[in-house]
Amino acid sequence: MRRRQPTPVAETYAEPLALPVTDPAELEREAGLARLFELHYSSMLRLAVLLGADDPENVVAEAYYQIYRKWRRLRDVRAAEAYLRSTVCNLTRMRIRHLQVARRHVESPPELPDETVASAESAALLRDDQRVLIDALQQLPARQREALVLRHWLGLKESEIAAAMGISCGSVKTHTSRGLAALTQAMEARR
Amino acid sequence: MNDTGPEAMNDTGPGPTRTERELQDALEALAGGVRPTRPLPDAYRTARGEWLRRERRRRLVLAVLVAVVFALATLIGLWVLNQAPAHPGVIFSGTGDAVNGASLPRPNP
Repeated sequence: MRRRQPTPVAETYAEPLALPVTDPAELEREAGLARLFELHYSSMLRLAVLLGADDPENVVAEAYYQIYRKWRRLRDVRAAEAYLRSTVCNLTRMRIRHLQVARRHVESPPELPDETVASAESAALLRDDQRVLIDALQQLPARQREALVLRHWLGLKESEIAAAMGISCGSVKTHTSRGLAALTQAMEARR
Repeated sequence: MNDTGPEAMNDTGPGPTRTERELQDALEALAGGVRPTRPLPDAYRTARGEWLRRERRRRLVLAVLVAVVFALATLIGLWVLNQAPAHPGVIFSGTGDAVNGASLPRPNP
């Protein structure tokens, strides 16, 4: 991994009460993470919302923690964005699966966290047809939803989507095609 | 898009279908309404504090685990040694021909 001098971003965000970091590798990690946070935090938050996470901020914070732990094993700083994206996808899928299982076994489901309210507010700004489309998107299986969001919101190529989801390019095509077919059907039924 | 199946197409042609266009618009609109609850520096500071706390906790748990395993291994070793019989075990009695230096009878060739 290329050694880099810490950027002013790290100094801006550095916690004033934290112990001074003297290790160069640690300094590099702090600077890299601060830059990643500044560049990608908002987009990762949006990605988590679009994928249907009920607590997107926790999901994104957990993804950043994962990359904080594995920073030294990253082969390239530029790979960090793809790693983050992949982690957000996986964590969101796990979170949704966990909630589905929990709701199946608990008679009175727990109250949704505050972040859901924020997502609901942003969804309220949509037009009717957009809301129907987003609802249909949320009803899709997680893999199909991920493939569609990565393709049509982030505009990723098939190979990048495959890397983010940990599946083959052929599977990406299948998920995208099936997801679009289901959305088309939902929209046709509405019209 | 060319990589979608024909069943998903509303209109013909190489460009995006109507559903794809609507999906892009809807995703853009939904994403545009998402705002972090905290400003970015605060969010970073909070997240960094949480990373450091979790990392410290992880290391502490790891250290405790290693200490417990080490202590258990030591205790088990001491217990096993304590179970050994107190009287000296006979490995070689030192009696018989060996005392006189005589060798064992050899078979005839």
